[in-house]
Amino acid sequence: MLDAFVSAAGYMVGNPMSFLLILFSVIWGIVFGAVPGLTGIVGVALLIPFTFAFDPTEGMLLLGGVYVGSTFGGSIAAILFNTPGSPEAACTSLDGYPMAKRGEAGKALGIALAASAVGGIFGTLVLMFAAPPLARLALEFGPAEYFALAVLGITAIASIGGGSLVKGLIAGLLGLAVALIGLDPLTGTARFTFGNMMLLTGVSFIAAIIGIFALAEVLQRFADGPPKGEQMTQVSTQLPSFAEFMATKATLLRSSVIGTIIGALPGVGATTAAFISYSEAFRWSKKPELFGKGSPEGIAAPESGNNSAVGGSMIPLLALGIPGSATTAVMIGGLTIHGIVPGPMLMQNNSDLVYSVFIGMLLANILMLVFGLRAARLFAVVLRAPYQLVGPAIVVLCMTGVFALNNNVSDVAVMLVFGGVGFFLKSYGLPVASFIIGLVLGPIAEVSLRQGLILADHDIMTLVSRPITGTLLILSAVSLAYGIWGQIRRKPPSDGTPDAQPETS
Amino acid sequence: MRGIALIAAVATTATPALASDYPERTVEIIHQYGPGGGTDRFIRAISEPMQEATGQSFVPISITGGGGVPAFVTFMQRPANGYTLVSLSPDDVINHALGRIDLSNVQPLVRIQYDQGLLLVSKDSDIRSLDDVLAAEAEEPGGLKVGVTGSAGFDDALIGLFNEEAGIELGTVPFGAAEMVSNTLGGHLDMMYEEYGPTRGLIESGDLIPIVLFSDERLEELPNVPTAAELGYDVTLGRWRGFGIRPSTDAAQIDTLVSLFKDAAADEGYKKVEADSALQYRSEFMGPDAFKTFLDKEVETYSTIMNQLGY
Repeated sequence: MLDAFVSAAGYMVGNPMSFLLILFSVIWGIVFGAVPGLTGIVGVALLIPFTFAFDPTEGMLLLGGVYVGSTFGGSIAAILFNTPGSPEAACTSLDGYPMAKRGEAGKALGIALAASAVGGIFGTLVLMFAAPPLARLALEFGPAEYFALAVLGITAIASIGGGSLVKGLIAGLLGLAVALIGLDPLTGTARFTFGNMMLLTGVSFIAAIIGIFALAEVLQRFADGPPKGEQMTQVSTQLPSFAEFMATKATLLRSSVIGTIIGALPGVGATTAAFISYSEAFRWSKKPELFGKGSPEGIAAPESGNNSAVGGSMIPLLALGIPGSATTAVMIGGLTIHGIVPGPMLMQNNSDLVYSVFIGMLLANILMLVFGLRAARLFAVVLRAPYQLVGPAIVVLCMTGVFALNNNVSDVAVMLVFGGVGFFLKSYGLPVASFIIGLVLGPIAEVSLRQGLILADHDIMTLVSRPITGTLLILSAVSLAYGIWGQIRRKPPSDGTPDAQPETS
Repeated sequence: MRGIALIAAVATTATPALASDYPERTVEIIHQYGPGGGTDRFIRAISEPMQEATGQSFVPISITGGGGVPAFVTFMQRPANGYTLVSLSPDDVINHALGRIDLSNVQPLVRIQYDQGLLLVSKDSDIRSLDDVLAAEAEEPGGLKVGVTGSAGFDDALIGLFNEEAGIELGTVPFGAAEMVSNTLGGHLDMMYEEYGPTRGLIESGDLIPIVLFSDERLEELPNVPTAAELGYDVTLGRWRGFGIRPSTDAAQIDTLVSLFKDAAADEGYKKVEADSALQYRSEFMGPDAFKTFLDKEVETYSTIMNQLGY
């Protein structure tokens, strides 16, 4: 292994072009991540034709760098505009935006960036040293285990959402209901499409998330009228102190582990990793009351979670030749075009390529730390522009971005409708996070439950008695009970004091 | 050499039926599969020599989901000006047979690839041959589960047809392509159905073992894997890939496209891509007329199969 490492390092030192490519790809990735709708998948897919001009190793460095950069980039717009640039950053806006609204945009971005780098480096190190055993662990996860994992994520609905359990459940169930629209994933029957052919695709959760966050935010701002000297005009780019950062170290470690494992599972990716990291951070936090109001842990958790999922999703790709996420599926296509056969022999037959990718991803994370801050400051300047200009620009970017995602005009319509939905949810105080959790995790739960039942000949006991499944389901039940109890316990005192604590005082 | 090329060039321009100023901008090819998947890569590979010949790009546009219907609907909304093509495969024929789309709205252009699929098991599986499958099914009908991609699509039709022929009841479970492989390797699924190209790495490493091939003849790459036909089950259906265009498109443009595709399919670089996935054996180039006849026959075949399967 050391030989391969040294040889790959030798290749890179002897090939300065590769450093340039990593630098370019990280910046490209941050931009694609930060612009709403233009996700990492689009960024990677657009670069595939360009990899023809390079050798396969350089091509993979390019794609890997974009993947790393775009996962962080999403958080910039999420924090500054409440507009997640990519779906995996949706969770980051829950606490990032309130902190930025307090005038601490720099601190929020700093925490997101540092957490991204920590998560990214953690994921890459695990990828380097433990890819084969972790790939084997991922194979233990069948439909039953996916179902239990999704259930664990969904139980978070009971905990997050701030105030009311009932409102959390309403929003969560609405999300689950919307997830049912489209072609039945197992039988191919149309559900709730009302004869509309384009609705057969179902509601694209990326389009929905962008509508709910970005468009709803723009609507909200315009509905509120011109700001009365709001604090957002003073964009402080002051970074968090080292002590502030170290305060989140337990969250960082927990989220990085969660992110890496979830990333390694084919079919579930960074978005799921971010949500589960967030809800676990909430559950274990000493100050859960700060969540949703600008908690540093609430930013650190999803960002370290989704960035460690990048390394995680490379694990099955490099160890087995099967993609761990949509972006790595595009990468596999890129490899095959170069005549490389993805599979378990890749690490032996193309060790130079594999180890260069490892080194490249580490470098990309470090470069991200350097350039991310500059990029963030650049974006923060936009906050000084009048919102009458910024708001419409965000809408235009969202529309083009959502269209570019799948070349599907109906996704744009979905985004517009969900802008209204987001506005409605907010005006009735229904927690947006619960809605999104239902929408993202609902389909995973549904499909895997039904697949699992077919495999178990419709015997539910066979399904739940599997060790990993059973453990995860018991954990879900416990956390559900804990969440409900926590809400009941918190109720009485909050009746006496005013519910809405002044967020900015 | 240059002389020959010149003559060829003159011969091409001299043919009156070809549109000389076409294509003058990018041609888009709509397909229903994910970016980086088999069809997406096929389009990129075949368009490479066409780009060299015309100086214009031919780009794949991926519109996924909805069983391929949204991709087809989008194609139908584009103008019939020769700049939008649609990829055609057995999935479209099945959608037509199920009444979801109407293939009479599309003019078949060329058929280029004809693939062949395999039933594969994990190296840890007790099943080692088709005989083992039949024995297990005789003991417990419907006990074995096969992973497939897509719901009520080509894979389901093929396994259904095989069930009919062999008198067994293999159950199918739809998965995403990646999860299907991980569930087979992890022992959650008994078998999976997939083509040679995407599974080559795992076959070569010995993690996946092919037990039967659905084709007319054995593959040179897998000399020990019997075909279903030689074991007595006449199932040779394969996934093919071709293109269609709107019927009202200018005839000269259609002729230009057909001759471009024909040259590209014979191109050395493209041939190598085909050979990487063992696609060269059954891939016979078909022009509009031959493809139309083939397509009509496919509609008949799949209508019968889907009927038998109760769709």
